[in-house]
Amino acid sequence: MATATTVGTTGRTRGWQGLPIVKQVRQSVGLQRGMLLAGLVLTGVFVVTAVFAPLLAPYEYDELRDAAGPFGAQARPSGNHLLGTTVGGYDVLSRVIWGTRTALAVIVIAVLLSIVAGVLLGLVSGYFGGWLDRVLVVVCDAVYAFPSLLLAIIVAIVISGGQSSLIGGVMAAAISITVVFIPQYFRVVRAETVRIKSEAFVESARVIGASNWRIMVRHVLRNATRTLPLILTLNASESILTLAGLGFLGFGIQPTAAAEWGFDLKQSLADVSSGIWWTSIPPGVAIVLTVLGLTLVGESLNDLADPRLRSRRAVGGPPPAGAVEPGGVSVQTVVPGLPAAPGTIEGFSA
Amino acid sequence: MNSVSRNGRRTLVATAGITAAALALSACGGGSDDGDGGGSSGGGGSLTIGTSDKITTIDPAGAYDNGSFAVMNQVYPFLMNTTPGNPDVQPDIAESAEFTSPTDFTVTLKPGLTFVNGHELTSSDVKFSFDRILKINDENGPASLLANLAGVDAPDDTTVVFHLKVGNDQTFAQILSTNVGPIVDEEVLSADALTPDADIVAGEAFAGPYTITNYDQNNLVSYEANPDYQGALGAPKTDKVNVKYYADASNLKLDIQEGNIDVAFRSLSATDIADLRGNDNVQVVDGPGGEIRYITFNFNTQPFGATTPEADPAKALAVRQAVADLIDRQEIADQVYKGTYTPLYSFVPEGLTGAITPLKDAYGDGNGGPAVDKAKQRLAAAGVTTPIELSLQYSSDHYGPSSGDEYALIKDQLESSGLFTVNLQTTEWVQYSKDRVADVYPAYQLGWFPDFSDADNYLTPFFLNTPESTAFLQNHYKNDAVNALIQQEVTTTDPAARQQLIEQVQTEEAKDLATVPYLQGSQVAVVGKDVSGTEDTLDASFKFRYGVLSKG
Amino acid sequence: MTTTTTELTAGSTDPTGDAPAERKRGGGGFGSYLLIRFLLIFPTIFVLVTTVFFLMRSTGDPITAALGGRLPADQLAERIHEAGYDRPLISQYLSYLGDILHGDFGTTLSDRRPVTEVLRTFGAATLELAVYALLVAFIVGIPLGMLAAYFRDRYHDALLRVFAILCYATPVFFAGLVLKLVFSVWLDWLPVAGRASTGAEIQLQTLDHPTNIYLVDAIQTGDGEIVKDVLQHAVLPAVALGLLTAGIFLRLVRTNVIGTLGSGYVEAARSRGVPESRLLRKHAYRPALIPIITVIGLQIAVLLGGAVLTETTFEWKGLGFQLAQYLTARDFVAVQGIVAVLAVIVAVTNFIVDVIAALIDPRVRY
Repeated sequence: MATATTVGTTGRTRGWQGLPIVKQVRQSVGLQRGMLLAGLVLTGVFVVTAVFAPLLAPYEYDELRDAAGPFGAQARPSGNHLLGTTVGGYDVLSRVIWGTRTALAVIVIAVLLSIVAGVLLGLVSGYFGGWLDRVLVVVCDAVYAFPSLLLAIIVAIVISGGQSSLIGGVMAAAISITVVFIPQYFRVVRAETVRIKSEAFVESARVIGASNWRIMVRHVLRNATRTLPLILTLNASESILTLAGLGFLGFGIQPTAAAEWGFDLKQSLADVSSGIWWTSIPPGVAIVLTVLGLTLVGESLNDLADPRLRSRRAVGGPPPAGAVEPGGVSVQTVVPGLPAAPGTIEGFSA
Repeated sequence: MNSVSRNGRRTLVATAGITAAALALSACGGGSDDGDGGGSSGGGGSLTIGTSDKITTIDPAGAYDNGSFAVMNQVYPFLMNTTPGNPDVQPDIAESAEFTSPTDFTVTLKPGLTFVNGHELTSSDVKFSFDRILKINDENGPASLLANLAGVDAPDDTTVVFHLKVGNDQTFAQILSTNVGPIVDEEVLSADALTPDADIVAGEAFAGPYTITNYDQNNLVSYEANPDYQGALGAPKTDKVNVKYYADASNLKLDIQEGNIDVAFRSLSATDIADLRGNDNVQVVDGPGGEIRYITFNFNTQPFGATTPEADPAKALAVRQAVADLIDRQEIADQVYKGTYTPLYSFVPEGLTGAITPLKDAYGDGNGGPAVDKAKQRLAAAGVTTPIELSLQYSSDHYGPSSGDEYALIKDQLESSGLFTVNLQTTEWVQYSKDRVADVYPAYQLGWFPDFSDADNYLTPFFLNTPESTAFLQNHYKNDAVNALIQQEVTTTDPAARQQLIEQVQTEEAKDLATVPYLQGSQVAVVGKDVSGTEDTLDASFKFRYGVLSKG
Repeated sequence: MTTTTTELTAGSTDPTGDAPAERKRGGGGFGSYLLIRFLLIFPTIFVLVTTVFFLMRSTGDPITAALGGRLPADQLAERIHEAGYDRPLISQYLSYLGDILHGDFGTTLSDRRPVTEVLRTFGAATLELAVYALLVAFIVGIPLGMLAAYFRDRYHDALLRVFAILCYATPVFFAGLVLKLVFSVWLDWLPVAGRASTGAEIQLQTLDHPTNIYLVDAIQTGDGEIVKDVLQHAVLPAVALGLLTAGIFLRLVRTNVIGTLGSGYVEAARSRGVPESRLLRKHAYRPALIPIITVIGLQIAVLLGGAVLTETTFEWKGLGFQLAQYLTARDFVAVQGIVAVLAVIVAVTNFIVDVIAALIDPRVRY
């Protein structure tokens, strides 16, 4: 069967060229490479901005006055404030730059938590089977199918205990996103586990006395690395949109605790119709560009992992590592299935 | 499978047709349909009002909020009410109302009153209205306002006697004009349970200036003038009024700006109002407002408070006074609220009988502005080492979207003096309400919207702490002299003497500073160019009466 | 499972596939799959209702939310006690379950309405918006997806794909803001918000049997102006919400058409000399649309489930809009009622989608 071959080919040793992203960039051609690189650049700018925010931002995120006196509210863009000031009297540019930190923190925490929990649950569920498996599948289905922003709001209220501090706000967004994304990792990992469990080589490993649990983990994770990057980028972009949605609905982080784009957008609602564009456009564009970058990376990786979607000219290139016959393996149907997931979630939250 | 896909395609084609038509239709029709909401529907004498308030219920026993009360004010009669331009109450559907003994407040109804449904309105309905509020004592209801009411009697069809627990309560007449005051039909409403809004509307249990003809809760309510109303407010100037409910103030703003509604009242953002002031198609009407904002200090947990390790009342007082010295009220009002709030220098807001400004003279530069030197001296004199660490809390979701900006600015004002290090935190309202009475917050934001337009409503609930009653602030403040003054003020019958007592309470309280008031909200309505009468109803009674508005 | 079905590649629905043979190998057969899948609806609903109950109760009580700033703590406690919110959580939970089993969802706390009435009224509004949004998604997503597949790897394709991503990368409140500014304020073509203008709304509500689906009601009035007014109000919210789904559809159609174009039987047809246009129409596009059908099911659940932000942005008073209001008011009676119904809709839609998917592709059964 095709599946056995799959496991075999992915098992090859890799150099740095085999590292996930690098490999795909090399593998891609033409527009597909362009889109992947564009995504990588946008994402890179986002991360760099977040890391060096204190150096890049002209002011603190909660600074209202400097030596020359108060900034004033809704000041037009000027030399001192390149993008003007907000209705609360903050420097817009500084808040957009500092906002990358909040967004990045949410992404990192959400992705880490979801991966760890989703992978663990998936392994356990797929490996042991039985009633535990069934319960987990039902719970995950239920949570997965449910509008995520609603869960996020409730979780946000519960977690923060109503405190809109930085940590409370970041954790609320991150954990609520985690709750919604665990089922996605869970599905992939569980499906893979169930499949591999029944494979001949696991059986044979058991015969020669190897711990089949260890083999399982290794094989499952190895196969999953092909599909997880996509979920991961979706997970990340979804985190940002949820954070912004929470901020917009008033369940987010307060301005003195951290800079957060959704909150700034909500505050600037009234400005737009009054001809004050500079308070809403920058945070809005920041959200869009960040999500765009992450999604471009995710979709490009997904297309490259699917031989049918890879650009035609690439077919003649290096042999597709880890290629799977179309429709031959359940994982393959699961993976393209994921892009529909943002629909599930974003249709609600974005 | 083929059929599935064919059906799918057919549906697609069909739906595509419909939507394309819809889009085309709307795209070409849109421009010509401008003032579609603006009263063009009902012919002459109609008006559309927009608001972002909410209705809990129109059953007086079940609501204690502005949005619900706004409806009640149009459709129910009151025994006592305020007329436009005058903050003091007078008989509404009553002929007379007076103390016939210290604990008996007797009201005589006008003869021949009826409800819209034709039922007679008698003293029995009045007794019913008050009894049911006490009996139902709903968790969201206003029953607590009737704390001083022992019972109601209806000796004959037009006479009602209220028996009070504390005699000569000068606020009782005012209370009859509040949330507990609407008179309802005993034949329509239930005596011991809340009545669904739909039943009240269907039963036409109204006898106020207006009746409701169409009721879609929190979306659209239509009113029509009630020709049988005989109360003090007089006949409405506009026959038909529609009220649209908005959730998002920016939509309210866009609709008034585009002329889709005639009046926008409560609550546009400061930015919106500032922008609309420069718009020639609308007028912005300001009136006095009873809403106040203040910082409350917890006398136990504030710096040097009673339960802190370095407890020292004198130092604690100096800290409160320093805060009062440093707050730049004008800057908050201008920068955060763009003039929709004004500086407040007392516990009783401007516009009410007895309001003075003791904080203006005693703190800051003596002229309303801040004074860093004065604060510095005060703290040094008390032996307080600076900077003082102060934890300051505000509610992120209860007092409007600008609270964050308001408190960021206060933090900034306190810190830029070098005398304070402020740890600013925010909490959502439900948790906030629990925490503040559990002594979690040393200093925190609160706001107040009055039940009735009497100075006492800003004193008793705040500062009267006796063994029998606790102020809702629960900040461990207690001053016997203030208590005595407040109790005396409530029962003094001579208006001049009472006013003097009220002023005295403010002066005394200004020395203690259990709270530091800093802002007073104005009422702002935005109306179309051709709408008049708004300025008449924006008075210190804080009742928005639709009947005085007219268009054209 | 739902994800598997959401993007069944068209290649897997090869009409030449030997479905009956697969079915036999699948073990239990279609009947038992149907039954098991049907029975799974109930635990799904149960899980959601239970989760939301406990989460909501841990967030605070509605009495404090309403009166926390006005009443002393002892009076608040007294009222909370009278309302029964200080009983042990488990007993509140059991009585709540008992109530909803009897179809009694209670009365909302913040605006005193029977929850069933709330569900009916606002559910209709949300349904209406969801249908409009799906239409927009179809009209935009499917043709553009086909175009993208046709122009695969050329710059048209790249542009369309970036457009698709932008569709779902833009938060709907930001998109809504821009749409309102352009079409309502600057161009003055369309109304700002709401479902109908005041005059029209009054007429709609005084109908004998209002469905609260405004288009249906407007047609009932027989007044062309009202129909026009209602449709005008629907355009911006439908576009804002529809574009989100359109992005998904675009991508889905593109992927599937490319998949079918590359599959063996299209190649075979091509080699038979079938004209390219017919090839696209008959062999590539049609099978590629099948997975869309299953996605629609999922999207309906999603759209019904909320569009909280769309409804809030445009004052479209539907379930999502109300849910946001009730959440702020900590009105857990209302929130739980709405959630319970959403759970039912979501679970049932998933069931239907799975059944359709299983009919199309037997491999997805478990």
